[in-house]
Parts: sequence; C-alpha cells; structure tokens
Amino acid sequence: MLNLILCELLKLKRSKMIPISIMGVLSTPMLMLLEALQTHFDKPELAFTLADIYKSSVLYSMLLTNMIIYVAITAFLFSREYSENTLKTIIPIPVSRSKLLIGKFCALLLWILALNFVTWAGIFMVCGLYHIVFTLEKYSFSSAIEWLPKYLLGGILMFLTISPFAFAAEKTKGFVAPVIGSAVIVMGSAALANHDWGAFYPWTAIFFLVQGKINSNGYITALSIIIVLLLSAAGFVLTFYHLKTEDLK
Amino acid sequence: MKYIIETDHLTKRYGANLVVNQVNFHVPKGKVYGLLGRNGAGKTTAMKMMLQLVFPTGGSIRLFGKDCRDNAAALYRNIGSIIETPGFYGNLTGEENLKILARLRGQFSKNAVLDALEIVGLNKERRKIFSDYSLGMKQRLGIAAAIMHKPKLLILDEPINGLDPIGIWEIRTFLTKLTRDNGTTVFISSHVLSEIEQIADIIGVMHQGRLIEEVDMAELGKRSRTYTEFELSDGQLAVKIIKDHYRDTNYTIQDNTLRVYGSNHLVGEMNRDFALNGLIVTKINPREENLEEYFSKLIGGGGIA
Repeated sequence: MLNLILCELLKLKRSKMIPISIMGVLSTPMLMLLEALQTHFDKPELAFTLADIYKSSVLYSMLLTNMIIYVAITAFLFSREYSENTLKTIIPIPVSRSKLLIGKFCALLLWILALNFVTWAGIFMVCGLYHIVFTLEKYSFSSAIEWLPKYLLGGILMFLTISPFAFAAEKTKGFVAPVIGSAVIVMGSAALANHDWGAFYPWTAIFFLVQGKINSNGYITALSIIIVLLLSAAGFVLTFYHLKTEDLK
Repeated sequence: MKYIIETDHLTKRYGANLVVNQVNFHVPKGKVYGLLGRNGAGKTTAMKMMLQLVFPTGGSIRLFGKDCRDNAAALYRNIGSIIETPGFYGNLTGEENLKILARLRGQFSKNAVLDALEIVGLNKERRKIFSDYSLGMKQRLGIAAAIMHKPKLLILDEPINGLDPIGIWEIRTFLTKLTRDNGTTVFISSHVLSEIEQIADIIGVMHQGRLIEEVDMAELGKRSRTYTEFELSDGQLAVKIIKDHYRDTNYTIQDNTLRVYGSNHLVGEMNRDFALNGLIVTKINPREENLEEYFSKLIGGGGIA
C-alpha cells in the first residue's frame, strides 16, 4: 500500500498542478493581508489579533478558494489516468483497481493537508510582514500554532466532502463536471455560511464544525457529522464501484 | 499445459452490439500468434478481456492453464502488454515512467529498467520528458514497459504503430529472439499483414467479432492458391467461353482481367479458345495468392486493415 501511495506521489513530479495549487491556496493569505490593510486604513481604531485573522481565514479557505482548488486537484488525480491513457498500462501489471483508488485517495489527503499547511504558514508569514510594518497584536508563533490543528482538521473534513467529485471526475473522465460542481457548492456555501441551516449542508457543516459553531446554532454536532460522513461514504462507494465494474474501452 | 492462452466461447456484448462473439483462441507455448482483422473486428476488445481491462459477458479465459480470475496477481506478473498507443505520464521521463511501473509491480530493479530502455534504443533519451517523445519513441517505451520484467507471455496490440522501418525491423528481430531464446509466447495483432507473415507461427483472423480462421502458417502455405491472370479484349465474352467450355473452373473477373484458379494445365487450351472466339489476349501471368489476398477473400474483400 505504501508503494502505491509513493507511486501516486512520484506521478506528481514536475506536475504543473503542484505550483498552481500552491499559488491558489496562497490567495487566502493574500486576501487576509488585504483585509487587514483595509481595516487598518478604514477603521484604525479597530484592534485585531493574529487569532482574529486565522478565524476569518477559515471561511475563505474552507468554503471558497481552497475548496475549489481541492476539487480541481481531485479532478486532476482521478481523471488523468483516463486523459493520459495510463489505466491500460497499470491495470494489467496487475494493480488492483481498489488499491489504485486507495492510493489516490491517500495521496489526495496528503496533498490537501499539505496545502492547508501552506495556507496556515502563508497567513503566519503575511501577518509577519504586517506586524513588521504596522504591529499586529498577539502576533506570535504560539498563537499561530494553536490554529494548525484546526487547519489540519479542516483539511480532513474537506477531504471527506470531496469524494463525490472523485466519482464525477472518474465518471466523466475530465475536469469540467467536477469544477462546475465545485462552483455550485461554493455558491451554496456562500449562501449558507451565515445561516444556521448551514449545519445541514455538508460543505458549510465542516466549516461550522471547525469553528465550533454548530452547538451554538442550536443543532446537534453529531447530526452534521453524520451528514458529512454519509456524503463522504456515498462518494467513496460510487468511486470504487464505478472503477471496479468499468470496462476500460 | 498445451496452451498459454485458451479461451472458451469468449464473448463481449455492449448493449445490442456483439463485439466479440464466442471466440476460442488457442495460443501454444513459445509461439508467435498473429491476430488479424479489420478495424472493429474485435481484436482489441479480445485482448483487453485477456488483460482484465474489459470484463467478458460470456465464456472464459485460461492463461498458463489456469482461469484468469484465479490468482490473477501471480498470473499477470508473467505477462507484458501493449494495448493500442501506450499510455504514460507526460510530466515524467521515460525512465521515471518505467520505474513507477516496476514499483507498482513490486519488482523494482534499476538495471531491469535500463536494460529494457537499451533494448528498445531509448537509453539516450531516458531522461527526456515523455510528452516530448515522438510517436515512435512512445511506442518503443511501451515495448520497454512490456518486456522489462521478462514476461513469459506478451500481449501486443498493434505494437509497431508509429515505428519507422528500422524500428519495425528491430522489434521484429527482438520478438523472434525472445521466442527462440526464452520461449516467450507472443500474442500480437497488427494491421501490417506482411509483418505478421514474417514473425507469426499461427494466425487467427477475426471478422465481425468472430474468429473465422485459426491456422498454422505452414498449413496456410499449403492452402495458398495459384492462379493465372489473363488480360483480354472482352472480359464478358471470356466469361461466356469459360462457362461454356470449363464449367468446373473457379474464376473471377474484373473489367477485362480474368483470374482462373487452380487450372494451370488448362491455360494453353483456354488461350486457344479465347483466340478462336476472336478475343485478343494481351497478357497471361501465372501468380500465387499472397496472405493479404487470401484474407481479403476470407473476410469478404476490402482488405484486412
């Protein structure tokens, strides 16, 4: 299994998706810097801390930019075997279709966690620049490190809600359907991010879970978790079933 | 175990479309089996079923004497394959692509990778990115991937596509050497009849999903028919003469060219009769049917490819 994951990672060598995805997730730190500068100049009396910036950044990263990027990398990982015609080279080796997918999902999880780490580190660095010029209250590594587990938890939850897009990429053998799907879910997330009902919408539920907002909204945390797990399970089952039974024409 | 590949009523249906229809292949050990057929005959689908890329809707496949679904992992480690244009990762070099395949197989050896690249003449381009490879180089890399683990069986679908004449000659020589020295069995399909003719020990012909012929090359040689080709001033009159005087003779007519099969001893008399009936005979050629003509006739004309 370790070999399969290693091979999945080796397949990404020189892939343009790596720098593109890193640049993509660095948009969140840049947006946070812009927001901090805007606040500084428009409302100089308003004091904010590094923790406040991290708290706002979760919205951007989990509901907007990072989610779109993660759907794109999912589509890339799962459709490239079709677009590059590699399945007919790999399957007869033989490589079990299920193991191949497990390897891909593991690589995807690692990639998502790495990108969430990049986002977290990026915020710490741009806030450092802000701190040098304007001074940011409570700017410290210890303050930042408190948010790292939340970012990593967010990454795992995002990974769980992304499995249906793996199926879409596999089924349509391309990027288009998953990326359109990601636009739709992001619109939904944007609409529900400030509503209590967001607890029932898997892609905002994960945001509420990381923010610890579900109980305060009056809903049961377990219900949101069940919704996320059901969506995730459906995505995994469909992805595995499809490849296991598919004729590779 | 007499056969390395043996199928029993192998069938594949896509909806109402019967792509492979109850095919029984028999591929003996250490032989080169050439599979011929026109586009859409079902060759690639049959090969894909052997490699578990496509699931049969009927029949069975035995590889190395065992059902291919039993202990597939062990069976398939002894097989190398190319199906159509080989697929590799465009962002990796040829060598990196082979290393990934070797790792996936669990038999990684740097020397095996380098040896395979050298055999197909890609050792100098091994660090070149695959997407920069020419079609011929991609095909060579596919062959390297198929042979690097020294398989006992090679299943090759159109392996010489995109190769230049020297490349074709090299691969043909290599395949012949593999069967002779290592006893490797080769199941190969190609549109290039002359190539198959030069390396195959057995030939199978598929047409409209069916295996319509499976014959040893030596046997095929005996079946090849000789004929005499007449070029005449009036083809229709010539046919009338043949019908009137040589009723049991097989012939074909195209414009003013008459082919008379297997009646060499009657050529003189025919020529005399044509002349007596006022026909001008401009050419008489004794000929032998080549493989292409034989199979064109077998599948109803139009050529194999």
